[in-house]
Amino acid sequence: MADDVTAVVVDDHPVVRAGVAHWLSTSEPPITLVAQGDHAEVAWTGPGTAAQVVVLDLHLGGSTPALPALRRLVEDGRNVVVYSMRADDETALQCMEIGALSYLTKSEGADHLVQAVRAAAAGQSYTPPALAGALAGDRSETRPALSPRETEVLVEWFQSESKEFVAQRLNITLSTVNSHLERIRVKYAAIGRQAPTKAALVARAVQDGLIGLDDL
Amino acid sequence: MTLGCRPPFDRPGLLMTDHAVLATARQVLLVVVVAIQLGLTLPALVTHDHAPAAWVAFALLAAVLALVSGSVAAGRAELPAALALPGAAAALTSSFLATTALPGGASFGPADWAFGLVGWYLLLLLAERPKILATALGAHIAFSIAWFLHDGNGDAGTAGVVVLSGTSVQLGALVIIRVLVRDARLAAQAATEHDAARTREELARQREQDLRTGFAGQLGAVLPLLADLADEVVSAGDEATRLRCSVAAVQLRRLFAENDDVPDPLLHELTACVDVAERRGVVVSLAVSGVATPVPTEVRRELVAPMARALAVADGRAKVSLLRTPDEVRVAVVTQASGALPDQDAPASVAVETSVHGGLVRSEARWRTT
Repeated sequence: MADDVTAVVVDDHPVVRAGVAHWLSTSEPPITLVAQGDHAEVAWTGPGTAAQVVVLDLHLGGSTPALPALRRLVEDGRNVVVYSMRADDETALQCMEIGALSYLTKSEGADHLVQAVRAAAAGQSYTPPALAGALAGDRSETRPALSPRETEVLVEWFQSESKEFVAQRLNITLSTVNSHLERIRVKYAAIGRQAPTKAALVARAVQDGLIGLDDL
Repeated sequence: MTLGCRPPFDRPGLLMTDHAVLATARQVLLVVVVAIQLGLTLPALVTHDHAPAAWVAFALLAAVLALVSGSVAAGRAELPAALALPGAAAALTSSFLATTALPGGASFGPADWAFGLVGWYLLLLLAERPKILATALGAHIAFSIAWFLHDGNGDAGTAGVVVLSGTSVQLGALVIIRVLVRDARLAAQAATEHDAARTREELARQREQDLRTGFAGQLGAVLPLLADLADEVVSAGDEATRLRCSVAAVQLRRLFAENDDVPDPLLHELTACVDVAERRGVVVSLAVSGVATPVPTEVRRELVAPMARALAVADGRAKVSLLRTPDEVRVAVVTQASGALPDQDAPASVAVETSVHGGLVRSEARWRTT
């Protein structure tokens, strides 16, 4: 992961932008916030264009989620972390389907946000516990087939919020926990419409030997 | 007494009562008619000089008698209209034939075999149709009297006695039948109401008992704890007692939430337990995933119990999660806990797993929806 991670924050609440900026800048190593604003435009105009990661609030001053903005960013090949106050599974799964690399609820703290931004900067997904729960509870027809082990990792991660705990419980290493989560996200990325970020995610996973073409 | 108008009965019990009364009445009337026809009228018919039409009338009545006997023998208490009305017409026809066949001046005399008999026939045929019976009987008597007056040779005094005595006995029989039907109906109604009241009473008693035992069962650890505290078997100063109180508090809170009418009862009960733990100073995060599915009360109780117990002894932080996958409902809690988890009854329908890893206790209850 590169040390000079750059991000742009789109949120209609100045206090949230300030908070996120603080969390990112005080993380170690610091993440540079190159732009911020209350409209998604800041991500594709001015200095925001160059940011590696877009932290996008899904509810910008309205009741309808900013899904068109997310779609445009994803189609432009941007790495998007959705940061939402809404915890409903359907919205989370919808954002995954469009091609966001992570979906965080605002009740999830700085830790998860920083990790998600770092992963996104490297073009990788990050599955926070709430999203793991949404994936585990997914009842859609198109949901990918997960192995029992993958499901168990997903559920335990959702339940405990501690990867160390999951590793101990299932008697596997921390990196195995991570690769299971990554595999799950890749399986999800492989279904539905292909977006540049999703294609990149799958391609990288195949190259890394994380997942075989047969698994998709 | 309202002879003509029968209340609409909607209860089979009342119909059965009418049935029984009418069946008995008809059997008695049948015996009476047979006795009169064979024992009293046949000798009168034979010994006096009647026109041949009298024998036709007698045969006609005998035929009606056979049909009615058949119906009664078949177990039918009430005569169908198809039998009763033509039967009554035949009886009236017999009345006409027999009366016109009488020797001169014999009306209401010893030779007049048919007058009383036809009245009994009408009663036998129309016992459950009082209005038609009154009309037919009226016609029969009116014709007999008219013939008597037309004949003009009889003794009016004797005729009056015969008409009044014969008719009043028949009317008396009718009144008795109707009174019996009415009283039996009232008695059956009273019995039905009494039974219904008994049933309601029994149901209420059963319900109260169910509530009592159900509540006692759900109160779980609360009642023994209160008893121990009251008996001073345990002291509120003990750590163990405080732990039991803590468990009891969560159980009570869950129990209060159990009967609330909410869209997602399971989540509602979980929230109630979380609420109690938070009051104790535990920082609890609650995560929910998947859509609400119906979970029976008994299963909800078992799903929530392990997590409620873990929360009762938790200190510091706790994470409670509710996950509803397509085929499972899973309630889990991960806590920092120093105290030992209290004992718990083995659940019937959910699988419970509790484990400790690195100072964290994880307790999970799973229920398969399929």
